[in-house]
Amino acid sequence: MTNKYSCYVLADPNKCTGCKACELACFAEHNKSNNGVGYTVGTVTIPVTPKLYLTKTKAYCMPIQCRHCEDAPCLNACQKHAIYRENSQVIVDQEKCIGCKDCVLACPFGAIAILPIGEKGKLKLQKDREVVKVASKCDLCKDIEGGPACVRVCPNDALELVDANADIEAKNIKTAEGLYVSRI
Amino acid sequence: MRKFVKGNPDLCIGCRTCMIGCVVEHEGRRIFEIDPDGYDFNPRLHMVKTAKISVPVQCKHCENPACMAACPVNCIKVINDAVVIDTDSCIGCKSCVQACPFGAIDMVSKIGTQQADGSMRVVANKCDLCVGTGNGPACVRVCPTSALTLVDEEKLKEVVCDKRVATANAAKVFADAKEVE
Repeated sequence: MTNKYSCYVLADPNKCTGCKACELACFAEHNKSNNGVGYTVGTVTIPVTPKLYLTKTKAYCMPIQCRHCEDAPCLNACQKHAIYRENSQVIVDQEKCIGCKDCVLACPFGAIAILPIGEKGKLKLQKDREVVKVASKCDLCKDIEGGPACVRVCPNDALELVDANADIEAKNIKTAEGLYVSRI
Repeated sequence: MRKFVKGNPDLCIGCRTCMIGCVVEHEGRRIFEIDPDGYDFNPRLHMVKTAKISVPVQCKHCENPACMAACPVNCIKVINDAVVIDTDSCIGCKSCVQACPFGAIDMVSKIGTQQADGSMRVVANKCDLCVGTGNGPACVRVCPTSALTLVDEEKLKEVVCDKRVATANAAKVFADAKEVE
């Protein structure tokens, strides 16, 4: 079943301690099969490139990641059609991406960064030996068992997978019950 | 990360000063001396006017340029972090024109060069960020409404950081409200 609205992960700045476990887990999960990243430091042969970005203000901190907008500015900005929708989620096709940075500027949350990618444990290179850099953003750990890695590893439960569909339904029921109590 | 020039359609009035600035910068004084009929006016950015907006379109200096990957003679290179066409080795095959999703490349005749049949050579033409002139992009400098910005790594970081902080601030308000509940 596909959701009516896309889901997204939202952090709670009142709980986040800024430990970056989410960033590391994100990187590890996405580079397990292609780049052989395992459980120890020695297995990491490429730069750590997360898909969510820990942001610190003076008073608090939290990771910022994609909201999987329903009318996604990044998707609409991409002239190469490298950003597409799959099961309501907004996904970057890193093979198609040419690194033009339009999506980075279009995103109102700062959820996209241009980062290098690895292939078979090495940095992917272009024809002229320059490093391939592509748009990197949360894909909600699609095709990964267990759902978003960031949510799973957060030691403080500061991250939550928000499902707008379920949220609306729950609130509607609550409101209806309230209406029953306050009926005239 | 590579720099690029970005136009702001809210500020652009479509005066084409950027196009003239571009040609003067690349041709130097010569443009005022040569016969206008024997010259192909070839700005490296294009003013686009639709019913709603006017803004110049130019090269994004992509991190993995589609034009560079498509070029069969490897004449598109990265020089000083700008994606630049070597017009001396360009064969005019138009592969890059086809590959660029922005329409940032066009073909121009190259003054002073000839093919075997005597006709003028036609080569690919696109923004080179005024590399080598030492003054930075001419279009940015000449725009009377400051509608063009050179977006470098620092500027992009600043923009993205501001957005992330704003997102965090909004999330904080949301989280506080939830706690009160």
